[in-house]
Amino acid sequence: MRKVIEGLSLNRLFKLTVIASTACLLASNCAAQELPPAPKPAHVMIKQGPALEFARSDLAIIRWTTNNPGGTDDHFAVVHYGTNPKELNEAAKSPVRLNRDHAQTMFRVRIDGLQPKTNYYYFVTSTDSNGVNDGDKSGVKEFSTPGPGERVEADPQPLAPRSN
Amino acid sequence: MKRIMLLTPLGVCVAIIGALLAFSPAEAEAMNNQPSPRNYQPLPPTYNPYPPGILPSDLNAEIQRVETEVNSIEDEALGEWQALPPPTLAGNPPTLQGTGYQAIQILGQLLNFDSNMSPLRDEACGFCHMPYAGFSGPIPSVNLTMIAYPGSAHYRAAKRTAMRYPYATNFPVLQYNDVQSLFFGGNFWDGRATGYLLQSPSAEQAQHPPVDADEMGLADTACIAYRLSQARYRPLFQLIWGDSFDIQWPGNTEAICDTPAGSAIFRGSATPIALSPEDRTKANTVFNHWGQSLASYEASTSVSAFSSKFDAFLAGAYTMTSDEAAGYALFNGKGNCNSCHLDGVSTTLQPGQTDTGNIADVRPLFTCFGYANEGLPLNPAVALFYETRPDSYGYTPNPYGFAYRDLGLGTFLRGGFGSSPNPNSQWLPLAPTVDGQFQVASARNVAMTPPQCPTTEAPGPYFQKEFFHNGYIKSLKQLVHFYNTRDVYGYNVTSGHCPAGTTERVDCWPLPEVPNNIDMTTGDLGLTDQEEDQIVAFLQTLTDGYTTPYLYSDAFTGSCMSGGSASTQGNETLVATPPLPECASAICDSAPVPGPLPIP
Repeated sequence: MRKVIEGLSLNRLFKLTVIASTACLLASNCAAQELPPAPKPAHVMIKQGPALEFARSDLAIIRWTTNNPGGTDDHFAVVHYGTNPKELNEAAKSPVRLNRDHAQTMFRVRIDGLQPKTNYYYFVTSTDSNGVNDGDKSGVKEFSTPGPGERVEADPQPLAPRSN
Repeated sequence: MKRIMLLTPLGVCVAIIGALLAFSPAEAEAMNNQPSPRNYQPLPPTYNPYPPGILPSDLNAEIQRVETEVNSIEDEALGEWQALPPPTLAGNPPTLQGTGYQAIQILGQLLNFDSNMSPLRDEACGFCHMPYAGFSGPIPSVNLTMIAYPGSAHYRAAKRTAMRYPYATNFPVLQYNDVQSLFFGGNFWDGRATGYLLQSPSAEQAQHPPVDADEMGLADTACIAYRLSQARYRPLFQLIWGDSFDIQWPGNTEAICDTPAGSAIFRGSATPIALSPEDRTKANTVFNHWGQSLASYEASTSVSAFSSKFDAFLAGAYTMTSDEAAGYALFNGKGNCNSCHLDGVSTTLQPGQTDTGNIADVRPLFTCFGYANEGLPLNPAVALFYETRPDSYGYTPNPYGFAYRDLGLGTFLRGGFGSSPNPNSQWLPLAPTVDGQFQVASARNVAMTPPQCPTTEAPGPYFQKEFFHNGYIKSLKQLVHFYNTRDVYGYNVTSGHCPAGTTERVDCWPLPEVPNNIDMTTGDLGLTDQEEDQIVAFLQTLTDGYTTPYLYSDAFTGSCMSGGSASTQGNETLVATPPLPECASAICDSAPVPGPLPIP
């Protein structure tokens, strides 16, 4: 988390601001907040999860946390799933926006179109917005959907670090 | 304003046809010289296809209030122009030396608040974009109910909330970034004002509402040149742009420009005024300069002021309260808001590095210029859903009724219903990847209200605003709560049908209107109730007018609302969504079709 608010003197902030302004003037497109892809780490690793966040009869949300994969601003969280652990032929993916200032990134995926009261197996991975894999991959896990009108909350609710 | 309602719909049509066929140039000229057009023009019966609860009960009074406020600002702008020492054209390239900046900005203001720029001379751009609301919708009861503002032909209305002007000119021309595989830039919720021609999205944005049949609704872009040729400030326009108004206007021009766009008599023509190619070019030039003048106004410090508490904080001239500071930390941290609403923090961190708080941008815009589908529920109060039968002009705003779905950027790329033609066909294959996405608006001025109603939040006294593209969210508390809990309290219901024991917008969020491409950065942020409130407190530091007064922020002459709580604000006006028919073929079967999920 940034320490700027109370820990940074305003004089220092002003100096930094002037430096940033000068750098900005030298840049080709200072005003546009369209930035080059962020630096990538040597390895992207799953730090926590994956785990079920929530499920109802037709929908499940899976989430996990990695170190910040860098690269393109948008990434895709991807779940490969199926009812047979040896045939995980279905896939669902959801866009996630990286925060350049966070050390870790939480990936979450919506899986729509599920059948009620069914056991599913899955593994997760992630890609950048061009479909290039981040190099992370989980082992196979499972979850079950409830009957119509019912909800399943993960127990215990996975608690991932939410800020750096 | 008196509305003369003597004619039947058939009578209106006959009168229009007669006028279009029978006007001679001399008669048209005689009409041009009428001192007050409203004195001679009978107004048609109002169009009201709405069930109870969609149009607010105070709508006519509120329309009149805003028209009066608009005209008052216009009068002040006329005074500013007359008091301004005229600039001198000098140098090569020629430059309006001296007061050129002020002159074009005053011109833009004059254009923005000129009610003559609509067929019934009752609606300026400013009617939907008033300064005290951050240049967004100025009628609290409309924000609470029908969302879209009534057009010049009452009560046609469109489908989305009025976007704020401030910092719109900072958005670059819409482009697809191949490295990022993302769209950046443009104006409008769906990005349809690309800026491809004028190289200014906001200048092109200003060209849409005047000829949108659901909004100001002029039938021909040349009507702008025609009405400007009659404007009191025409000399200023010509001084700045040097445009020629020497156009041979056909005798029926006045009648055409008095008739709202979309009227059956025009048979779908976008250019019903028969001009020679040379005169059409002159009119087009004026129309482009109309847009560029308005963009100059939007870029001016009168509109994009950078005068908020946050700007003062960056300059070391404001100390945040503990709640604001906590909200800022949450905005950048646990809330992750600044992943898209960029706040100018440093962007050079390496893995393992600690953020030292370097400010990378001294005037951060709190947007990434991008697009996202946040999974907003379909809002059944949106006026457009009910406009399924023709009005007295034979125009039907939405033949699809509740089969309409707002796919945002995706529909624009397809050039589909409710958007505009796409000037870059190479983008068409990308449509399914952006269905449901809408522009990431600047968070600046999201909380701006008139001073007498100092907050957007109940119990107030508060000024009711509307948030996101379809106005489903009614307070900033709800806005943050939605980001925080969309997936925690997601139910397989439509709006108005949350299960017993739950409260919509509190612990029940209905289904997303568009299930594809939903941004999963949000939806379960784990914020506490207090932390949500702290983020709201931070958002309120982004309101311009702290370091210097925000011009015309005191123009509001209406009433505040009070009572209730921000969490359930507006719940008393919730509308039960009817059983939804399948998405209309014209929208969801347009290639490339949405996928991988069909739009329900």
